[in-house]
Amino acid sequence: MEQFINVSQQLLKGFGENSFIFIITLLLSLPLGFIVSMGSRSRFVPLKIVTKLFVWIIRGTPLMLQLFVVFYVPPLMSGGSFNFPRMNAALIAFVINYAAYFSEIFRGGIEAIPKGQYEAGQVLGMKKSQIFFKIVLLQVIKRITAPIGNEIITLVKDTSLASVIAIPEILMNAKDFSMQGLIWPLFYSALFFLAFCGVLTLLFSFFEKKLDYYKG
Amino acid sequence: MKKVIALLMAAAMTATALVGCGGSSDSSSKASSDAAGSGDWTYIEQKGDFVIGITYFEPMNYLDETGELTGFETEFATKVCEEMGVTPKFQKIDWDSKEVELNAKTIDCIWNGLTITDERKENMGISTPYMENKQVMVVKADKADDFSADKALTGDVTVVAEKKSAGEDVAKGDEFFAAANYVSVDSQAKALLEVKSGTADVAIIDYVMSIGTLKDGSDYGDLTVVEDMSFAPEQYGIAIRKDSTETLEKLNEAIQKVADNGELEQIAEKYNLKDLLLVEKSK
Repeated sequence: MEQFINVSQQLLKGFGENSFIFIITLLLSLPLGFIVSMGSRSRFVPLKIVTKLFVWIIRGTPLMLQLFVVFYVPPLMSGGSFNFPRMNAALIAFVINYAAYFSEIFRGGIEAIPKGQYEAGQVLGMKKSQIFFKIVLLQVIKRITAPIGNEIITLVKDTSLASVIAIPEILMNAKDFSMQGLIWPLFYSALFFLAFCGVLTLLFSFFEKKLDYYKG
Repeated sequence: MKKVIALLMAAAMTATALVGCGGSSDSSSKASSDAAGSGDWTYIEQKGDFVIGITYFEPMNYLDETGELTGFETEFATKVCEEMGVTPKFQKIDWDSKEVELNAKTIDCIWNGLTITDERKENMGISTPYMENKQVMVVKADKADDFSADKALTGDVTVVAEKKSAGEDVAKGDEFFAAANYVSVDSQAKALLEVKSGTADVAIIDYVMSIGTLKDGSDYGDLTVVEDMSFAPEQYGIAIRKDSTETLEKLNEAIQKVADNGELEQIAEKYNLKDLLLVEKSK
């Protein structure tokens, strides 16, 4: 019993790191993703090219490799005089990575709104920004809830990748127990993820119901 | 105005993208030459911390019941740092990235039961060997009697070891295992798991590792080390950055001092590792 409590404490401590990465990444990557999606829809060609290039690089390389690059490349290039703290490096990599994915979901959502809605706004004498915020945006949010929810659930589990730059997150702690001869903590750690994702799933369905006030 | 903002954003993004992907190819060689010679010790002395890269693995470095870091290497390293006049700072690392950590100076040494190999000697500075290690066979306790030195394994036996480990060299190189099937996994703990779950019959792991994992009350209680059979004795050393001659001298001197005043022996006795010590007291 004592062992069980000790293991639970260690795993919970590790899961604290996962939750921290999750929350910060979500808070920063959603707005950043929105900005990037604006860039990729821009009529200004150089900006559009650069944004597309950015999304291609970030989506086209493994997140694990990006974590390595953010944490190890600065000290390797500067001969050890500069490096990000481990957690900051992890956050930078996660935020940039998820912003790239979110930006594409936003872009898809925005482009799915029929042109007629913009024209209707114009006829009513609304400004471009008014059309976007008062007519388009709410419909976009409704349409992208499901795909964004998908990404968010993936993020919960991806946070474990931070262990490659030695963030003591839950899976790393669980593996340490197996070095001490305990196997079950590794499988027990699954419960933490399941519980967290369960709560998120409930939140999403609540949110979707709230948005159900009109059929778009 | 809009175009100006757009241009600025474009510039910023290009910069990030370039920093992100460029330069990683030749950086490792550059960093290792920067760290060369006496510069490395000056660097460590100036910051006053000696950052020690470890992983948790009993009995070398592990957390005790109260959550405190302890173990043979932990105590040994603390004493050696005392002699060197630097503060030890233990940094948990991912073992697969130990060389990168060292070159990036996010750690100053690897001190975690590191086996000395020719390959490692070429790429890193290695201290005097301080402890011996050997490879042992771990099997299910009720089958231990089936194994003996004069009966080489047959084709129905599956042998498992960590990839790129000394255990793998034994499994591939030793005649005793020549006929057996070999499977490699990514850690020694997983090798034990394979035997426990019955997907393999024999795991070849470090003797030192077997002390911590097969102790009473562990999940591997039904596994045992085959007695009187061990392979490929090897030596543990501490790895530092390549060509850091001064750091290496200081480190070796300090190890000798800790051995001379008897502290090394005491620590080893505490963790039941005394028979394996390699550093002799100087007369």
